[in-house]
Amino acid sequence: MRVKVLSRSPEEYFRATKRDIHRIPRNFNPDLHPLEAPREYVRALNATKLERVFAKPFIRSLEGHRDAVHCMCRHPSSLSLVLSGACDGEVVLWSLSGKKVVSRVTAHQGFVRGVCISDSLSLAFSAGDDQLLKQWSLTKDGVLGTEPASVYSTQGPVTALDCSCDGTHLATGGDTVLLWSPERSEPLRRFEWGNDSHSAVKFSPVERHLVASCSGDRGVVLCDLRGAQPLKKVVLRMRSNAVCWSPTEAFILAVANDDYNVYSFDMRRLDMPLNIHKDHVAAVTCVDFSPTGRELCSGSVDKTVRLFSLVEGHSRDVYHTKRMQRLTAVLWSADDRYVISASDEMNIRLWKARAAEPLSILRWRQREALEYSASLRAKYASHPEIRRIARHRHVPKSIYHARQELHTVHEAAKKREKNRAAHSKDKKAPLPEKDNVVLEECE
Amino acid sequence: MEVKKSKKARYFAASESAIPASSAGAPLVVEVEPSLSTSIIEKSKKREARRSGQPQKQKRLDKRQGDGVLVARGRPDPFSGSHAPVPKEKLHKYSREKPSKGASSLVRMKDKALKNTLQLRQKKVSLAIQEAVRAEHLNTEDAGFLEGDVGEDTEDITQQAIAEFVDVASSQKHFELSLTQFGPYRVNYTRNGRFLLLGGERGHVAAIDWPTKRLLSEFNVMESVHDVKWLHVETMLAVAQKQWTYIYDQQGIELHCLKTLDRTLRLEFLPYHFLLAASNAAGFLSYLDISVGKKIAAFPTHLGRCDVMCQNPRNAVVHLGHPTGVVTLWSPNDSRPLVKMLCHGSALRAVAVDSRGTTMATAAVDRSLKVWDLRNYGCLGEFRLASAAAHLDFSQTGMLAAALGSYLEVFKSCSTVAELSQPYLTHRCWDSIANVQFCPFEDVLGVGHAKGFVSCLVPGAGEANFDALEANPYESRSQRRQREVKSLLDKIPAELIALEPSQVNSVQQTTEEQARPPSQRIPKVEFEPRFKKKGKSKASHEQARIQAVHERQRREFVQQSLSSKKGESKARPTAVLDRFRRQ
Repeated sequence: MRVKVLSRSPEEYFRATKRDIHRIPRNFNPDLHPLEAPREYVRALNATKLERVFAKPFIRSLEGHRDAVHCMCRHPSSLSLVLSGACDGEVVLWSLSGKKVVSRVTAHQGFVRGVCISDSLSLAFSAGDDQLLKQWSLTKDGVLGTEPASVYSTQGPVTALDCSCDGTHLATGGDTVLLWSPERSEPLRRFEWGNDSHSAVKFSPVERHLVASCSGDRGVVLCDLRGAQPLKKVVLRMRSNAVCWSPTEAFILAVANDDYNVYSFDMRRLDMPLNIHKDHVAAVTCVDFSPTGRELCSGSVDKTVRLFSLVEGHSRDVYHTKRMQRLTAVLWSADDRYVISASDEMNIRLWKARAAEPLSILRWRQREALEYSASLRAKYASHPEIRRIARHRHVPKSIYHARQELHTVHEAAKKREKNRAAHSKDKKAPLPEKDNVVLEECE
Repeated sequence: MEVKKSKKARYFAASESAIPASSAGAPLVVEVEPSLSTSIIEKSKKREARRSGQPQKQKRLDKRQGDGVLVARGRPDPFSGSHAPVPKEKLHKYSREKPSKGASSLVRMKDKALKNTLQLRQKKVSLAIQEAVRAEHLNTEDAGFLEGDVGEDTEDITQQAIAEFVDVASSQKHFELSLTQFGPYRVNYTRNGRFLLLGGERGHVAAIDWPTKRLLSEFNVMESVHDVKWLHVETMLAVAQKQWTYIYDQQGIELHCLKTLDRTLRLEFLPYHFLLAASNAAGFLSYLDISVGKKIAAFPTHLGRCDVMCQNPRNAVVHLGHPTGVVTLWSPNDSRPLVKMLCHGSALRAVAVDSRGTTMATAAVDRSLKVWDLRNYGCLGEFRLASAAAHLDFSQTGMLAAALGSYLEVFKSCSTVAELSQPYLTHRCWDSIANVQFCPFEDVLGVGHAKGFVSCLVPGAGEANFDALEANPYESRSQRRQREVKSLLDKIPAELIALEPSQVNSVQQTTEEQARPPSQRIPKVEFEPRFKKKGKSKASHEQARIQAVHERQRREFVQQSLSSKKGESKARPTAVLDRFRRQ
């Protein structure tokens, strides 16, 4: 007779001392792990619920402006420095990590229309309603000079200001798009297309010669500094308020439009947008790309900040507070963790880019758990219960109702188009919405 | 729960169902980093080369060939790469989906981005399976076995012989408790096999830490006890008494009196759902959620007194055996049985489902033992026992124990009739056996009989390597508390109990019949058979008549549709050369 009976030695399974961790022998035989799928589903459901519980995006409000904030820019090389210009002509440099004003200076009479920072020249620029373009010295610690380093006349009203990624050129919007060199008091170049003024100007962060601007005749104009004439112009149905470039894909740009939508375009094919980002219920005033180029944040007159994925049509999150008024500027921080918004009621607000993300340094096990729950949520994202919980956002009543109303209007229009097509002679199906965005594309 | 999804989502779900849950599957991806050891070896080689004055020619000879095989001096490295080869037959054990399905659907896929994502996912799944196979090397224990000498059958080997032969620790696992006053005894082990619960029909309840033979508590409920069950932790136990069902704690203090479960005969605890299923003398099956103390469902079986019950551990479906020879499968979501199987011509005595949930064994008063495949509900084999089995139980490794009066028989496997005709082990108890249960993760079979309890050694019955995150026999108190919290967080809602547990990961698919336009569907006509005398309205006869009517209708419909198709094809003019046309 040969016999063996299971006989485990307990010493191999108990921990040696109390300070040891417990021994966890594993056996991955699926028979020992029944009901895998439902258990995983329950975990995904719990992870989704917890994600909503921990979604507290608002970090703090930065107070210090004495009038509505009108424009904002982030420091090209410092994560915590943000420069903002207000409607009373004041320019303030903020430290986000210190949550305080680093330096402030009354730069202009009337609105500050644009601010930007050139890292290579250690200069900050501001342009205002007094038709002046001022340069300010800026130290590494973020101290602005009390007196401007130099002052140039813009020879006309300015509405926007931006500086190229290498810091060697400036562009201002106004009656025309003007190109400036910091060393010269006269503009280098002048770009014109039509007679209307330009409300926003943005340099591409990748291609330093590319500038996009929004013109008052509902157009978005692209200029190459090396060319004699502007490159392209695309005319939308309504006026665009802001434009920004993708920091990773040089040919992608996003436009904040008055028709409540944000449009992302591929520069090579401007006849139709890449995507229509809906959900705002009033004109969108500002837009910014995340440093990954995969996401967008936008601020609107409807007093909300919305975060969009570049490839999706609807926002993945909406941020609002009771006191936040119309948004004037939004920024996505360079470390992809924060969103900064400036609004009409004099405050700058700091938000988390991912609402449920913990801000502290995580232990390995915490990070593991978060990653596990994130992948569970992704895996079960299309289950109705989980999708419902993940999508639910509380928004103010006015916005909720406005969205419903817009939805009704949209559906009615769709139905009308469909009916019209059905009863027309050629029975042509109505065009998809994307095809109706661009009115005209000019070369 | 069935979910309708987009095409994209469906592909995701289909491929992801193979990725195991973290506690349930995903092994640690152990990548052997060769850098340190190889760098040391290389250094020492260089040193040697320098000493012997050889120029470093060898370095030039070492070349990585196309598929990453390192070739030194013309000989390939036998240990190429960081991963050891995996035997193919073992991959099957850990894979959760049929392999052919996913691969073929990807070939035809047009969306490149989606295809890439899915291919990546498939790679991850196959890597996880490979790593699970490799992790088998880390299993420390080997399963037990029993082999007789030449000409000696294992069934002739007595418990005493085994106990004398094995080591001292194992021999102490064979013991007998003589409890002559309050029997017959019901037996229940905890899920980790550490604690034993005995319930004597005349009121005696005892909770024992059986490996150390420490009595946790012992009390008499002064009422008849029909069944005892451990709940999710060893501090709570449920006792089905004469009128109500009670929950006691480890010390025998009454925690709850569940008046919603009355006259209970059998209890089953569904550990992942925190449900206590109870069948009672009136033929009701009730489900009680013990985490909130609420009765969530109760159904009349309409099949009489219900004292044969077991659960399918794979999908938490409760199997009931009835005096009519019918086995019914129940979930709390349906007031009618999910499946009704006529298994025997006479009253059922015992039902058992194996740990994989694919095989069911049933025994009836006519001494027959039948084995069923639960995937297609077909009978795998029928066998006639020496006497009617009062109780059946499967071990983790698929052994089947049958209580035949005072005689105990253990079959090594029940896949063939030959295996059933030759018992693996036998044992004779003092009195008729009431209840048997294999102890999880041990080679032990607990036998409760009219005059006490016997713990028998059955080599090879238990799973050798336990998973401590699932059931840990060496659990400490803090670990138990943590497990309780975590399992409560992972509590599966009762709505998800279905025959196919992975249904939650699958996409609702329309049948061929549903996919047809309504005009082409086979019409369903309600047919109520007229009552006929002389026993011609027996249930079976009535069913046969209904079937016949439906079958006739179906046939007529198909014939009609075929003839109309034929008419269409005839109407087409045929040319002489049509025969060469490609079909």
